[in-house]
Amino acid sequence: MTRLNLHKLTKRYRGKTEPALDDLSLEVESGSLTALLGPSGCGKTTTMKLIAGLLEPTLGDILFDGRSILGVAPERRGAVMVFQNYLLFPYMTVAENVGFGLKMRRVDRATIDRRVAEMLELVRLPGLEDRRPKELSGGQQQRVALARALIVLPKLLLLDEPLSNLDAHLRFEMRDLIRDIQRQMGITTVFVTHDQEEAVVLADKVALIFDGRLQQYDAPTAFYETPVTRRIAAFFGGVNFFQGRRNRKQFDCAIGTFSAPRSAIADQPGILSIRPEDVRLAEAGAANSVAGRIHSHVYVGTHTRLRVSVSGGHEVCVVTDAEVMKTHKPGDPVTLRFPEEKLWVLPPDALVEPTAAHREDTRFGVTKTKGCR
Amino acid sequence: MRIALLLGPALVVIAALFLGGVGLGLARSFNYMPIIGLDDPNLDAYAWVLTDEDFLLSFVLTFHIAFTSTVISAVLAIGAALVLRHTFVGKKVITFLFQLNLTIPHIVGAVGILYLFSQSGFFARIAYAAGAIERTSDFPALVFDPYAIGIILQYVWKEVPFIGVIVLAVLQSVGQDYEALAQSLGANRWQRFRYVLLPLIMPGVLSASVIVFAFTFGAFEIPFLLGQNHPVALPVLAYRSYTDVDLAARPEAMAMAMVITVMSGLMIYAYVRLSRRYLRAG
Amino acid sequence: MTASNQSSRAAPAGGTRDGRRDVIVRWAVISLLLTWLALPIVPLLIWSFSFRWFFPDVLPADYSLRAWQYVFSPTSGVLQSLRDTLLISGGATLLSVIIGVPAGRALGQYVFRGKSIVELLILAPIIVPGIAVALGIHVLFIRYGLANTLFGVMLVHLIPTLPYMVLVMSGVFANYDTSYEAQARTLGAGPIRAFWYVTLPAILPGIVVGGLFAFLVSWAQYILTLLIGGGRVVTLPLLLFNFATAGRNDITGAISMLYIIPGVVILLLSARYLTGNASAVGGLGRL
Repeated sequence: MTRLNLHKLTKRYRGKTEPALDDLSLEVESGSLTALLGPSGCGKTTTMKLIAGLLEPTLGDILFDGRSILGVAPERRGAVMVFQNYLLFPYMTVAENVGFGLKMRRVDRATIDRRVAEMLELVRLPGLEDRRPKELSGGQQQRVALARALIVLPKLLLLDEPLSNLDAHLRFEMRDLIRDIQRQMGITTVFVTHDQEEAVVLADKVALIFDGRLQQYDAPTAFYETPVTRRIAAFFGGVNFFQGRRNRKQFDCAIGTFSAPRSAIADQPGILSIRPEDVRLAEAGAANSVAGRIHSHVYVGTHTRLRVSVSGGHEVCVVTDAEVMKTHKPGDPVTLRFPEEKLWVLPPDALVEPTAAHREDTRFGVTKTKGCR
Repeated sequence: MRIALLLGPALVVIAALFLGGVGLGLARSFNYMPIIGLDDPNLDAYAWVLTDEDFLLSFVLTFHIAFTSTVISAVLAIGAALVLRHTFVGKKVITFLFQLNLTIPHIVGAVGILYLFSQSGFFARIAYAAGAIERTSDFPALVFDPYAIGIILQYVWKEVPFIGVIVLAVLQSVGQDYEALAQSLGANRWQRFRYVLLPLIMPGVLSASVIVFAFTFGAFEIPFLLGQNHPVALPVLAYRSYTDVDLAARPEAMAMAMVITVMSGLMIYAYVRLSRRYLRAG
Repeated sequence: MTASNQSSRAAPAGGTRDGRRDVIVRWAVISLLLTWLALPIVPLLIWSFSFRWFFPDVLPADYSLRAWQYVFSPTSGVLQSLRDTLLISGGATLLSVIIGVPAGRALGQYVFRGKSIVELLILAPIIVPGIAVALGIHVLFIRYGLANTLFGVMLVHLIPTLPYMVLVMSGVFANYDTSYEAQARTLGAGPIRAFWYVTLPAILPGIVVGGLFAFLVSWAQYILTLLIGGGRVVTLPLLLFNFATAGRNDITGAISMLYIIPGVVILLLSARYLTGNASAVGGLGRL
């Protein structure tokens, strides 16, 4: 059980103007499972390598249980990485792979054999000791890689995109396995991923990183319910954003005035957001509603996605029952209700330092195509 | 059909020249040459060659040259590749210089070694200037010497970059993640080299070494230039008996050529085995 | 502990990061290595400009261009030798490309019965030393009047150059996606036009580099030329050897410099391709 603190961590690579990681501070509770989430190149892998000691920070500190470990060599840090492509040593058997860490510590042969068997039991691969990595499926290889990391009882387990190389049905199995083992052994675990679903299903807490900067560090639900910026909301699938002004729990914008008690800002200009799955179809004249016309609909099996044109050339994206497909046609008038407990007011984009990447993403969120195909 | 058309010309040429050469050599080594009236194959040449002291001395010398050169080259090449693979300033230029003597023919290197290490060569002159020797004969015999030091120096000079470049290519494809992983599992620098890097590059090192061994075992011009007069390296001995005024010595020359062929056949076998293993592991 | 404190810490021991000592050791090793690699060329270069350089002088007493004048004089035979060497290597390269590219395609793109035997046959001449083959083939060349001729030498040089070319091309073709050609066919190109406009541009860099190195393989041959040329065909390495054993160090030096130029130029042109390409390097074991 180890508490991890990142303190004002900054990493600048030689010859690069922008830092790969900029002033990141984070506390990971002992025994918790935390995701570092962000698009590729955001600095999350850099963070992981810094923790493992494979890179050295330009500025800042890394603490295990309050003690700086920057002076500790990677092989003595006890922070073990499991790579995305598993990296099982191809010339070793499964048993040799799993026992590697103990061999490096010069543990005696009998103990290694016993511990290897225990670990393979733990990852539910008993009896595969003599196989070669090539003879294993992707899922099995990953479990061997996990066993190889766990056998040294690491202070900190670092997983690189743990689910991304797996088929859909294996993902759930692996997710449960990782959760179970992690709880059982109580190992503080940090994993990086670019997939918000992977982060949400696996982590206790998610640290969202864009451009080397921490954006929001919260429980998974918060990223859906109370994102801090429009960019975060868009990253988690938000598509409906309307510029306007908040005024005593009311929000005025081009498509109407809505009651919106939940807000990230005080009374000032801002952005009203509602997730597509929170928009309801309602009778004309319902409270907190807007009238529009169905522009197009897409049937996606479990539900239907509607694009609804509303006043001022705006569009609202709606995710609703699959049945709606049968009763509504493009061109039909429709009334959309925005439940006030689901509306969320975001700060205007100008308040967030507008880097080039920001503008790019923001525009993407507003073009209404992203989640609405 | 299409494949036969594509492959045909190359196979015809290689079969005619290579298999033809080896086949005719083999026939003549058995004293079998119907067109000049020898139609009774026998093993006389082998019997003569394999009991000849000169041949045996040559064989031992040649094996010593090939083995020593290959081992020293492989060890130095691994070291050089490990140093060169890290990104640092001027890497491009240094890698270029490292590869440069891949393109310099052996014979030029051999002459260079001669001018450096002979008893009136560059180092002998420096030794004289430093007062270490008083006349040329005081300088140790490093070329034309019984231990073939000059020949080995030349091969090492030439083959370190050859094996090194192959090891560099393997290292590049392996990447550094395996080592990073091993390190996070507690392996120290020596353990990372011994248990991770070395096994990963070994198939590449071995298959390159096999090529080097076969080459150094069968190369002619370097021992011809840098070797002593007796015993000589096997290819030189074969050439001498082939060009001997006594034409009867030719079957013996062929038998020696076949010994060289068999040695390189073993190397081909080793190479194929190794490259298969490498493919399996990679 | 503050952040600014941290930044000034020394690198931890044993990490993959470089301590100051590591950097010094590395540069020392590299300097030593490169010096050793360059060393044999240095006396050759100095000799080529020397006039009198007797033991025990560390450097020549006098310098002159005598050796170079000799090399470039029309009567010395060095220039004819250079021309013959170029003809032989150029011809062997051209033949290797023409014959080797289709064979490389067959090996790189198709799976067929007996493929491993064909591969073995291609590999064998790269590993089996020239002398072992040349002694046997000599009688055939004499019989067909090819011995002691330029063409005969060119032909015998195919033994190392052609397999090398096939090897390189099979690597090139293995990495070439034939669906480009299929796409061109569906767009209305015939097989020849599809090859010419689609495949050839894609594999051309491979052909050029493979060809350049096949040229160097031929350029470096000694024993094949000596045996088949029978002393009548005197390529640069043979000439070099003659002057070296005759003790004309100055002329040997000058010819050496002339002789290594193509390799240096070719490496300059293709160094980028060579790094990380084990199959292209593999054949260079014969150089």
